[in-house]
Amino acid sequence: MITLLVVLSVIAIVALVAVLAAYLFWVGALLARIAGNLEEANDAVATIAGHGALIGPGVEHINRSGGSVAGALPLLYGLAEQILGKVSPVPERSKVATPASGQRRSRMHESVGYGPTFATQAFNEHQPRH
Amino acid sequence: MPNNVSASQIPFWWLAIGVGFAVVLVVALLLSFLIILVKIIDQGVVDVRNTLLRITTNTEHTNLIPKTADGVEAVLAEGLQHHLFLGRVFEKVKA
Repeated sequence: MITLLVVLSVIAIVALVAVLAAYLFWVGALLARIAGNLEEANDAVATIAGHGALIGPGVEHINRSGGSVAGALPLLYGLAEQILGKVSPVPERSKVATPASGQRRSRMHESVGYGPTFATQAFNEHQPRH
Repeated sequence: MPNNVSASQIPFWWLAIGVGFAVVLVVALLLSFLIILVKIIDQGVVDVRNTLLRITTNTEHTNLIPKTADGVEAVLAEGLQHHLFLGRVFEKVKA
């Protein structure tokens, strides 16, 4: 009877120790994995912070330069309009020269099979030449 | 083996053994809850890590912003050159 009690006591103690050891090992493995993942997340956050540090100064630079460009463009087209007011882009030209013999009738009609009647030819021949 | 245990102590020993096994069961139950919670935390950390890695791929092109700023600066410098040129032309036309 006493031996049974002693054996059961030892079994209870060993079971307690074994359960504690097994679960703590399991929790330890899980926590180690979590630590690894958190380390990767920390690296990713540092990378993102490095990328984000470029945004502020860059956008300020772009806004400053863009504002200057936007302010300078009205001056540019104001100057261009003043220049255009001084210089006409379409100079006045003389009339287009015409030959003294007048304009000749086109011979393209015969080449495509068009034959005007004799009366039409006579009418055309009696037209005054310019 | 202890032989000097009295008969009145035997029930208490049984009680102690029973309490011991109960404690083992309770400890196992509580540690199981702890394992479940740690697994939930682990899954959350994995999701956070994956999200951060995706964000990293999204923000890796921000190094183009300074180059864009330099380009806008070059546009401004070219615009100033145009302004100077038009000023010279205007002076000649006016003259």
